[in-house]
Amino acid sequence: MKVSITFDRLRWEEKALSEAAKAAGLEASLVDSKGLIFEVPMKHPDLGEVVLQRCISHYRSSTLTLMLEGTGLKVINSYDVAETCSNKLATSIALANAKVPTPRTFLALTSEAAEEAAERLGYPFVLKPFTGSWGRMVTVVRDRNTLQSLIEYKEELANPQEQHMYYLQEFVRRPPRDIRAIVAGDDIVACVHRIAPPGEWRTNVARGAVSKAFKPDVELKEIILKAADAVGGGILGVDAMEPESGYLVHEVNNTVEFKGAQSAVDTDIPAQLIKYVSQVARR
Amino acid sequence: MNASCTECGATLAVPNDAIVGELVSCKDCSQEYEVAEISNGNVLLKPAEQVGEDWGE
Repeated sequence: MKVSITFDRLRWEEKALSEAAKAAGLEASLVDSKGLIFEVPMKHPDLGEVVLQRCISHYRSSTLTLMLEGTGLKVINSYDVAETCSNKLATSIALANAKVPTPRTFLALTSEAAEEAAERLGYPFVLKPFTGSWGRMVTVVRDRNTLQSLIEYKEELANPQEQHMYYLQEFVRRPPRDIRAIVAGDDIVACVHRIAPPGEWRTNVARGAVSKAFKPDVELKEIILKAADAVGGGILGVDAMEPESGYLVHEVNNTVEFKGAQSAVDTDIPAQLIKYVSQVARR
Repeated sequence: MNASCTECGATLAVPNDAIVGELVSCKDCSQEYEVAEISNGNVLLKPAEQVGEDWGE
């Protein structure tokens, strides 16, 4: 069985997945997406039974997935999942519709409406870009003056969605850590706490957070799997918080990074992810 | 395998087991490169893409 792993930036994760696929007896190809050219309509490309999409650029990733699915190839994750996870509003909607506990969230379509939404939500709150990762441009807004300054900055952005629209979320009082669960299909492959470094409130590994393994309780397991299912399922990174009021899922990642989690757990994460890839290929 | 940093001229040591697409950084100036081609023990590098607004998980 052949599996292609498409990438645009070859990181530890992609190499580990390729090695795990070979160890599982699969014919694994690392395919640099930057060199691919397609003519529409196209024949089924020689990329095997399944493609594991690992491009770090969201737009490159989802566009390539759209093309590959158009040829009839199975891609993990699917285009629909990628689109839901890459847009924080789409994720929030999917989680809320599936009754997954998630922080209170507002959408505002103008700066004036953003100020009104902020009053309803209450300060402090978190202003997030619709698309983006690694905690970039995620800001705690502590008062109206700060919001007004941020609005001025946002209005200078080139991206119309980020320029004119606002995604506001409740600032959740939580310990200085969050939860990252790596999910493959119906299995929670690994679960870690991501502990924020001193002086940083964000818990992204890209910002220096340290991972520490823990065993999720029954309630958390159920919430994690429900969140993964809500966005369409696949290989996902479910991020949750643990305020006193109970677990809240705030994000589901489509191209999950797991180097940090792997440093904290004994489970062979890439091997488990490849096991899921094989199962999908056989369907 | 060795290559030269086009930014500062330092010699970059590329691991012998490197594969096309892999990233290497210049130890002197931190310029990041991507392995573009390997043939007969020679390595060709190209500047790596810069972090984009849509990069991430």
